Amino acid sequence: MMEKLLKLAKKVADQVEIYSITYQTDSVSFENSRLKAIDSKIQDGIALRIVKDGKLGFAYTRNLLSREELIENALASIKGGVAAQYQFPLTKKITKLNSFDTAIKKVTNKQMVEECRRICEILGTNTKAEIHTSLEKAVQKIRLINSSGTDLTTQFSEFSGYAGILYPGSHAAIFRILYSKKFEQFPDHWLNLMVALYSQSLKEAKPKTGRMKVLFMPETLYALIWRLKEATNSKNIYEQVSPIKDKLNQKILSEKLTVVDEPLNDNLPNARAFDDEGMPCQNLTIIEAGVFKNFYTDLNYATKLKVEPTGNGYKANISSKITPMLNHLTIRPGQKSFEELIKMIDKGIIACGIMGAHSGNILNGDFSVGLAPGIYVENGEIVGQVKDAMVAGNIYEVMNNVVEIEDTLYPSFTGMASTLGSLPAILFADVSVAMKNS
Amino acid sequence: MLDEMKKILTLVNADYADLRYERMLDTKIDFDGKELTLVSTNVTDGYVLRVLKKGGLATVAFTKKSDAKKAIKTAEENAELIGKYQKEPIRLAKAEVINDTYKPNLNIDPREVKIDEKLTLLTHYNQIPYRYQKIATTQMSYEDKVREKYFVNTEGTQIEEDLITTRVIGSIVSQEGTLTQRIRVGFGGSDGYARVINREAEIEEKTKLVLDMLKAKPVTAGNYRVILNQRLAGVFTHEAFGHFSEADIIEESPSMRQKLQLGAELGTPILNIKDDPTQTNQLGHYKYDDEGVRARPTRLLKNGVLVGRLHSRRTAAAFSEPLTGHAIAEDYRYPPIIRMGSIYIEPGQDNFEDLLAKLGDGLYLLNPMGGQTSGENFTFAAQYGYEVKNGKMKDMIRDINISGNLYQTLKNISAIANDLVLGEIGGCGKGQTNIRSCYGAPHILIESVVIGGR
Repeated sequence: MMEKLLKLAKKVADQVEIYSITYQTDSVSFENSRLKAIDSKIQDGIALRIVKDGKLGFAYTRNLLSREELIENALASIKGGVAAQYQFPLTKKITKLNSFDTAIKKVTNKQMVEECRRICEILGTNTKAEIHTSLEKAVQKIRLINSSGTDLTTQFSEFSGYAGILYPGSHAAIFRILYSKKFEQFPDHWLNLMVALYSQSLKEAKPKTGRMKVLFMPETLYALIWRLKEATNSKNIYEQVSPIKDKLNQKILSEKLTVVDEPLNDNLPNARAFDDEGMPCQNLTIIEAGVFKNFYTDLNYATKLKVEPTGNGYKANISSKITPMLNHLTIRPGQKSFEELIKMIDKGIIACGIMGAHSGNILNGDFSVGLAPGIYVENGEIVGQVKDAMVAGNIYEVMNNVVEIEDTLYPSFTGMASTLGSLPAILFADVSVAMKNS
Repeated sequence: MLDEMKKILTLVNADYADLRYERMLDTKIDFDGKELTLVSTNVTDGYVLRVLKKGGLATVAFTKKSDAKKAIKTAEENAELIGKYQKEPIRLAKAEVINDTYKPNLNIDPREVKIDEKLTLLTHYNQIPYRYQKIATTQMSYEDKVREKYFVNTEGTQIEEDLITTRVIGSIVSQEGTLTQRIRVGFGGSDGYARVINREAEIEEKTKLVLDMLKAKPVTAGNYRVILNQRLAGVFTHEAFGHFSEADIIEESPSMRQKLQLGAELGTPILNIKDDPTQTNQLGHYKYDDEGVRARPTRLLKNGVLVGRLHSRRTAAAFSEPLTGHAIAEDYRYPPIIRMGSIYIEPGQDNFEDLLAKLGDGLYLLNPMGGQTSGENFTFAAQYGYEVKNGKMKDMIRDINISGNLYQTLKNISAIANDLVLGEIGGCGKGQTNIRSCYGAPHILIESVVIGGR
């Protein structure tokens, strides 16, 4: 089917690329320990890029009802005059990855319902709180062919989950995310830690506004990582608006921080050997011991910047254009256990949940997030929950004040879209925290 | 189309089923900086099936008609599975049976405007900021989205409705040394292409503001008395209050339902809030929701007292409250969930100068840069603001992030102006994106909010 489309499109264009995706998901969600919904999706999509006389045409559809209509839409798009100075790559050899676990096929909705019930049981019994949890299994298949001769296919299995203990009268929660290639139970020690954090922080603490230590959990570190991803995006380097555009190979963050994109790590789900435009993927060091080593590119911005593409061209969904993305981000773990990190806080906040990471001057590295919840710690002991507080700063100051990094990585959000990476908890010193009525 | 869909529904063996088919026409043009990066017009489509069976309600979204049987089987199985785990079977509130076709009135139909003209318009808009020094980059998009929706259910309802959204959105970035400032630009609506033409003045104004922001002072962290402008007060209304009038958000939270019972005194007596998707010529307009229920103007807060909330058929039954027609899906990939249509604070007595005089010393904050809520607490950012001393606007400030407690803040609204404006650009990301989520307000005075800062 795609070959036919390729052949037809080649008649009217110099270069052709066809990207197709099929995915199927089943999700189960519980609210207040009650089964709320089971939703399924069976979805397809096809995107076509053509280049003619150096101009790019783009079109997509869900049902390929008419090949001609899709090609006509792409040709109409060419008239706009979007420049494309690059060649669709010929990629033959790619790293063999084990991204699909056939066990995913055997997971039933019933099994997911039972696991949700188990989670609710453990968290609910020990806290008497409202428990929200959800699980989802997904199978995706991507195929990419182009007129340079590339024909690549990948398939991956994903199993993801969320479990949260909600504070009374609020959606603020102690939560954790699960992400795997196959069905897995939420580990008991995660659930136990969540129960402990929740139980110790039920009463309200009222510390004063000031500068103090802040422990960002893996679940909230994305507020800072998001800004780093923007600054190291080749688009912002090309447009000269990244604050670190001239700082390649210079130290910009704490020497304790090493940040790497690892698409080839197939111990994690969603491992990729090629990106959404057929470039081979590579593990790419963004920050090494605080030094800015690499920015990440798609074909377009690599060509504009006259550098080798890094294989980071992805589509957010079938209807979006290719942009540079870091979809497999991780931070190298440190030496301290989570308990040890808490012991190191003389006075400070654990940011367990945050609001407003998408607000403010992201490009500049500024963040200012509401805590939902934050837990106040004094002399290494949890005092209670803080409400109505905001943590603010600039990543080039805050991420230079790393006290210690946790020794374990957890599946975590790393930015705006639902891209997951692996992050540890990180303790920062001297961060501004504003409290209500002080 | 409707007949074909009815045929699919005859294959369902359940207590109730509905099927939505959508064909979406989507035109998008993007500039990243001075460079054109996307021009495309596309047609996509898909189905969403919902089945109520043995006390459970399940949804399957599918692309191909050939997957209909598989979708039906999955939906029936999932519904039965859900039903087994319910203490009370899920019910749908009784809804009027409707047979209607609704096409909104358009000033200019964007489908009839050539793509060349749209490209010329956007190119022109994107050039405006670059006439000034210190403009580092821009991002500018033109978008029109036509959702042709077809809905049938096993109760006999059949509806065709078009939702047409036309908009220009973007941002302008100024730069001095390593400091950058960004401001948002956006206009558009649900009533056609005329909304997006002749808007040069707006882009000009935003360009000047983002240049001024380079020199503005970062705000000092602390507690402040503030006036919010209409756009910002609109986001406050949507984020801090609006989400908790969505029944599905609080349904399974006994502690929140306790606080949000109808009759609860939540705000100051001057505060009135309403959601009304039925008003034409505003971004959030629709006639029927994605469950085929007729939209109704819904009063939420009257003189500070909670008097209503937004419902789907399922939650209306669970709460024993009237249907409001607020179950909306992003598109053919999603089941409907409860969304605000067009929420706003009703105008008060004062004018803006009265509010400044009442404020005396404090901050005047303008235009949203994103917001979020956790129930009790909310945060949102303002793009810029001004210090106010003795009722006079003074120095410009920036880097403004506000946080507050919903219940305290509703009681802290001490004055409301008479200058209601509904936003032309809304949007909400509650699981799905809703680009037509409309919100607005007059200028409002709040006695105390926390502002974060470095």
